[in-house]
Amino acid sequence: MSVRSPDSRPTIGQILDENGVGRRRFLKYCAGITALMAMPPGSTTAFAQQLRAARRPTIIYMPFQECTGCIESLTRSFAPTIESLIFDTVSLDYNHTLQAAAGHAAEAARLEAMEANWDNYVLICDGSIPVNDGGIYGASAGESFVHQLEHAAEGAAAIVAVGVCASYGGVGAAYPNPTGAKGVAEIIKNKPIINVPGCPPIPEVMTGTLVSFLASGVPALDKHLRPQAFFGNTIHDRCYRRRFYDRGLFAESFDDEGARNGWCLYKLGCRGPTTYNACATIKWNGGTSWPVESGHGCLGCSEPDFWDQGGFYEPVTSKLFRDTGQVAAGAAAGVAIGAASAIAANARKKKLAAKAEEEVSS
Amino acid sequence: MTLLEFSRGPMLHAALVIFVLGVLWRLTSTVLAARRKNNAEPRVVGGPALSGGLIAVGSRSWPHPEFIPRTGFGEAVGYGYHLGLFAIVLLGAPHVVFWKNLFGINAPFWPTLPTGIISVLSVVTVFLMLIATLRRAAHPVLRRISNFDDWFTLAILYALMLTGIMAVFGIGGRYETILALHIISFNALLIWFPFGKLMHAFYIFPSRFVNGYMHTKKGAAS
Amino acid sequence: MNTATQSFSASSDRLSPSQREERAMAAFAQEFGALAALNLESCIHCGICAEACHFYIATEDAKYTPILKAEPFKQAYRREASAFAPFFKLFGLKKKVTADQLEQWQELLYDSCNLCGRCSLICPMGIEVADLIESGRRSMAEAGLAPKELLDRARKQAESGAPEQPDKPYPELLNEIGQANGLEIPLDRAKAEILVLAPRNDLEGNPAAVAAMVKVLQAIGADFTFSSDALVAENYGYYAGSRGLQKKITQRVVDAARKVNAKLLLVPECGHSYTALRWQAANIIGEPLPFRVRHVTEYLAEQLKEGKLRLKQVSGDSFAFHDPCQLVRKGGVTEAPRALMNALGLELKEMENKKGFSFCCGGGGGVNDLERAKPLRYRAQELKLREIDDTGANRFVTSCSDCRVAFADAAEHFNWDKQPESLVELVAANIKE
Repeated sequence: MSVRSPDSRPTIGQILDENGVGRRRFLKYCAGITALMAMPPGSTTAFAQQLRAARRPTIIYMPFQECTGCIESLTRSFAPTIESLIFDTVSLDYNHTLQAAAGHAAEAARLEAMEANWDNYVLICDGSIPVNDGGIYGASAGESFVHQLEHAAEGAAAIVAVGVCASYGGVGAAYPNPTGAKGVAEIIKNKPIINVPGCPPIPEVMTGTLVSFLASGVPALDKHLRPQAFFGNTIHDRCYRRRFYDRGLFAESFDDEGARNGWCLYKLGCRGPTTYNACATIKWNGGTSWPVESGHGCLGCSEPDFWDQGGFYEPVTSKLFRDTGQVAAGAAAGVAIGAASAIAANARKKKLAAKAEEEVSS
Repeated sequence: MTLLEFSRGPMLHAALVIFVLGVLWRLTSTVLAARRKNNAEPRVVGGPALSGGLIAVGSRSWPHPEFIPRTGFGEAVGYGYHLGLFAIVLLGAPHVVFWKNLFGINAPFWPTLPTGIISVLSVVTVFLMLIATLRRAAHPVLRRISNFDDWFTLAILYALMLTGIMAVFGIGGRYETILALHIISFNALLIWFPFGKLMHAFYIFPSRFVNGYMHTKKGAAS
Repeated sequence: MNTATQSFSASSDRLSPSQREERAMAAFAQEFGALAALNLESCIHCGICAEACHFYIATEDAKYTPILKAEPFKQAYRREASAFAPFFKLFGLKKKVTADQLEQWQELLYDSCNLCGRCSLICPMGIEVADLIESGRRSMAEAGLAPKELLDRARKQAESGAPEQPDKPYPELLNEIGQANGLEIPLDRAKAEILVLAPRNDLEGNPAAVAAMVKVLQAIGADFTFSSDALVAENYGYYAGSRGLQKKITQRVVDAARKVNAKLLLVPECGHSYTALRWQAANIIGEPLPFRVRHVTEYLAEQLKEGKLRLKQVSGDSFAFHDPCQLVRKGGVTEAPRALMNALGLELKEMENKKGFSFCCGGGGGVNDLERAKPLRYRAQELKLREIDDTGANRFVTSCSDCRVAFADAAEHFNWDKQPESLVELVAANIKE
């Protein structure tokens, strides 16, 4: 752990040179990143220059009400990548899971790092922040998560909320949300926030977002503050099984002919149509596969409240209410009122008809 | 709560309750209205007369040959968009899974049509609806007798069809918003249903039956 | 198409608008019930009923749309007796039916409707549109807004048995016919199997038709009688739409039939009286009839089948047959006339719109009696005459005297080359001894 003054931070370019990363390899890497983010072909050179010139950032990584899945995803790498170089040598000045230190000394070190890099560090959060009952459901070192977040956010240049919990509350916020779990953007209103949701997010999406931020600041975001480069299309629109959906060929159960033939999983609850993420294109485990390709429908894990959108094996348009007899009561009421109205109408008929002068028998 | 969650949560629930309550209210009050016994000596009794009624339920869908020259076009357009709507609603895969989930039914052999065909059908159906709408606005008889009910019902149907087409072709905005609007349109249909002409979906059966039954009893054409 | 506003029936010129509204509402209320409700609720405003109505077809005037004729009834029903009636009232969604409205509707319910029932056959929802119009007429009669001619004649007939003062009393006319044709016409027998009625149209205007009917009945040895208590078949109460008057007139017939212990009430060549007696009488007097009701063509076809009537062949001419609405479309007497024509060996050239789908003669439903409705009637009848011409037949026959009157009048107006003939006269002229 090292503390340096902002001015003397090395640039990314210097770090790469120190580690023997050649120009060709670096440009190839940049081309890969820009392609991944669907940037125009001519932007690679500019991106490379910006990245080289960027200062190695200080990163404060604060976990809240989380399962550590996001860190696990982030650190999954099968071969050393340039990202890992960037991040291994990056001043990851605070990270519960990865650091060896613990206790008061660790906390003190974090605060020192924050002080030294005030207004310049990147705050990465994962996990939701519980706010109920004064925030007592999440605390560390005697301080509630809410306070920790608010303090850490004050000196941050930008905040990246990694995972669906930090983005919108995630599993902690699932019904009935007893802890009052919230996403970062629901608490911090005065700092640039980038949400990188997913449960967990794809590793390359996380690192790609960070690298893009380093090179050119906050990227274009959608209405949920997610980078449009990765969250701009739905799974449905990029799914390789889309043709089966269009042709009406569906798997009806997980082991039927349709499933074995790799047909569309819409009828088995796939949330593809309403889920924005890059799984269908970037895939997981270094491009090995992704849920649909493995035969299971998308859970919609990068969307707000995805735990509460009905059963995962119910359709994406499933009903989100539980009827505890209201419809039956409505039916009974309808019949009763209808009968009453018929009786009233018949009585009214008799009354009005009595005024007729001409006598009739019926 | 997002718009999509609202549309298929509390709004759908309320719409279903209103639908069921209203439809049963209206039907019960019709059925329980005063009845008179028919004392006339019929020409055809019992079973055959009832069969005449049942047959009329289906046969009235096809006009008698004497009427076809004057009614053919209007009836073709009307039945055309009805058939289109039924096919889309009952054979479109996203709708089938919706019904199964809504009513909690397990019907493994409910067939579905390919989405491409449903898409084409939707466009054709809207086209026929447009013809029917223009006809209603231009034909002297229809202009004379049309009222709020006629136009409002059409408006709701257009909302349903257009949001459905937008969803399926991916035009007009974010998918989850269009989907929410589509479900809201459906909820609007459910809520309006008991109060307007849509009730003909229920009334058509007893009405045609009684007409056929009474005519058959007299030995008359039906 | 502008018909003059009609003067209202004399006795109820004394009614104020609010009285008319109240009494119309009372009559509507009498018509409310499950059947009316079903008919009124089912309408989807498709406008197809207009395509069945010859008044609309002839004029292309949308006000003749059949379901529109029932609009005041529908309005009253929605406001007073429908499922959501309290809300219709509370929010003013349906207003009370006004005397003004009723006055406007008179020409729609009477001048431009023959009660022919074609609209009830075309409606895709199976609505009995013609029945709704009959219900509409009831409110008009109750409010004193039925056309003067019809209501006057209904009152007279209810009172005296004759809708208009004849030149001679009916029994006398009947006797004269008997004498002129060498027939002993049984009148006022104490007991008889069959009570027969005569069309007053024929009694006064075409006595040969009455004579023909008597001749056939005697030829088959029927045990029948006429009754001076109830001699004519027509029911002007039905035309006017007055339930009370229709009932009085019907009751007279039923009493006369009971008096002679008749097993069969024979309806002569008349259309609406078949509806009034076979299908409506039992309900309007409130109990099943103790005798059968049959049309003369039905009865003769029965006799033909049983071999009691045998007919000679008529050759040389081709015939077109008009299916009277109340007999065929609304009555079900479709095959009987054809059985008779078949037995006569007539070369029958059916019209394009035949049997239950034939167009009305234009005179039904009381329109024959409405002077001011003539121009409209002629326009509708023009279609029918052309249709008859199109069959290529050189003679024309039907089995209802009202139809014959309507066609005769049209023939004169249009200088038509055919005269309507009576089927029973044809039968009578060709009995094989």
